[in-house]
Amino acid sequence: MARLSIEHLRKTYGEFHAVDDFSIDIADGEFLVLLGPSGCGKTTTLRMVAGFIQPTAGRITIGERDVTNLPPWKRNCGLVFQSYALFPHMSVADNVAFGLEMRRMAPAERAPRVAEALRLVQLSGFDQRYPRQLSGGQQQRVALARALAMQPDVLLLDEPLSNLDAKLRQEVRVEIRDLQRKLGLTTIMVTHDQEEALTMADRLVVMEKGKVRQIGTQRELYEKPADRFVAGFIGRSAFLDGEIAAPGRFRSQGGLEIDCSAPALGPATLALRPERLAIGAQAESCTNRFQARVEHVSYLGALLDIDVRLTEHDRMLLQLPNRQGTVEPKPGDRITIGWAEDAGLVYPRES
Amino acid sequence: MSMTAPEPVAGARTSLAGMLVLPATILVAIGLIGPVAILFRYSLNQFVPGQFMVDGLTLENYVKFFTDAYYLNVLLRTVRVAVICTLACLIMGFPLAYVLARTQSRFKNLMVMLVVLPLFVGNAVRAAGWMTAFGNKGAFNASLLGLGLIDQPIEIMFTENAVLIGIVAVNLPFMVLTLQSVIEGIDRNVEEAAFSLGAGPVAMFRRVLWPLALPGILAGTILTFILAMNAYATPVLLGGPKFQMMGPLVYGQFAQQNNWPFGGAISFILMTATLLLTLAANLIVQRRYR
Repeated sequence: MARLSIEHLRKTYGEFHAVDDFSIDIADGEFLVLLGPSGCGKTTTLRMVAGFIQPTAGRITIGERDVTNLPPWKRNCGLVFQSYALFPHMSVADNVAFGLEMRRMAPAERAPRVAEALRLVQLSGFDQRYPRQLSGGQQQRVALARALAMQPDVLLLDEPLSNLDAKLRQEVRVEIRDLQRKLGLTTIMVTHDQEEALTMADRLVVMEKGKVRQIGTQRELYEKPADRFVAGFIGRSAFLDGEIAAPGRFRSQGGLEIDCSAPALGPATLALRPERLAIGAQAESCTNRFQARVEHVSYLGALLDIDVRLTEHDRMLLQLPNRQGTVEPKPGDRITIGWAEDAGLVYPRES
Repeated sequence: MSMTAPEPVAGARTSLAGMLVLPATILVAIGLIGPVAILFRYSLNQFVPGQFMVDGLTLENYVKFFTDAYYLNVLLRTVRVAVICTLACLIMGFPLAYVLARTQSRFKNLMVMLVVLPLFVGNAVRAAGWMTAFGNKGAFNASLLGLGLIDQPIEIMFTENAVLIGIVAVNLPFMVLTLQSVIEGIDRNVEEAAFSLGAGPVAMFRRVLWPLALPGILAGTILTFILAMNAYATPVLLGGPKFQMMGPLVYGQFAQQNNWPFGGAISFILMTATLLLTLAANLIVQRRYR
């Protein structure tokens, strides 16, 4: 258990920047999630921390140790793979004991550590089973126990839940989180699953095309996305393209004049969270209020998704809670929608 | 699980499976088991010079083999050559197979072709090439002599070393291809898991890669060992007339001495020795690593 510090980490393959200038300090016991679409460099970053990929530049420090040039077997990073990667020719107990065996611990000392690790993942009594005799969820826990048994300085999770079915995934999520808190393990997890990332993380790093887009807590990422990509990737946003015509005034492509809190002039994109929009009578008090035509309604149980068109060029997405008595608009209906001035987030237009 | 399958379907499958294995079974029965049985019968016959083969039921051919130091030496030499060749193939083949299995190079298919290349050249052609290259007046010695590095030509042709090198060159592709397919089946993450748990490359190999590759190692060693035990062209062409191995010995008894009963006995001894040594090696390896 230790803090982990990554400074200006970079990995290039020829002209391709897999990871571009990644820096972060992870506190002792913090759960950090690297989140991004596939190919964004999150797995490359994790594998550089684990020692499987030699960085092109940068420094990785675990506790006080500079591990940048250490091979994986000298880093003391517990690693859990998406494919579990259990040793198929060893029993569960031997799998979990492997890390201790490699540290030349006597068999008599190993036994209680193995038992403790298996107890933590609720697999006591499975010692003599072989991986092929276990379900996916159980194999996943053995992989976790194997990483925990050697008391790693840092726990690295590489999409550990993506091979589990949906229901199991939710259970294991909470289990891993509880365990990580209880043991105070500094942890980095890689995932492309947003919900998973939001439920488990203390802090998240959103990556795209090798670059860090934003680092922050769930609330920071959702309320104050740093750019248009994050606004679209974390949660949902409806976007209007246009320009800042005057300070505090956004003009959409379709000619709508919208009040916003944006100083810089020029081409811009306005992002709105669909659930922050008001409809009908509730929209009356909003500074921005427009007539819209309903195009499409999706009934999602707890929520209604409503696609509306404001002008020929401007479309918007609304999300209404499906409360008792909510009237479901029909396609073709004309409705009033509105939002507060500070609900809209304005980003300079990206090329 | 399979017990719950409806009977008619299972029945139909069984008869289909029977049909599928039939052609190969017939070929093996006619082409191998029949002749071997006849050979075994011959090996119990007597050889009377001038009369060729006389029907009988005697072990004297086997007794002759095991009481004559010359023949025992041939057997011993054959086993020694086969063991050394097999080990050499394993030691050289494993790293090569590992690289082939793990490479992401787009030239992988080409690399596999290069490994198989020796098999494109027949034994006789290859041996002839060796003779021109490594004979006392061959290119290799001529160059070294010409450069003044040696006074006497290094004797390579017609030695045991020549035979060893020749057989390894032929057998290596079989070992490499067998190992490669098995190593490809081993999840790369399993190796990485071992590394992350503190295992260095040697420990990872010993505790993870080797045991998981064991089925391939067994198959590869069996294949190369059998091929080496029964080598014919390489020992004849590279070993010369004085270097006897079991394969050429069998042929000599049949074709040159016309002593079919003794030839049959040698064949059987060769077959049995190959089988027993293979089984013994398997048992030892499996006991240690299972």
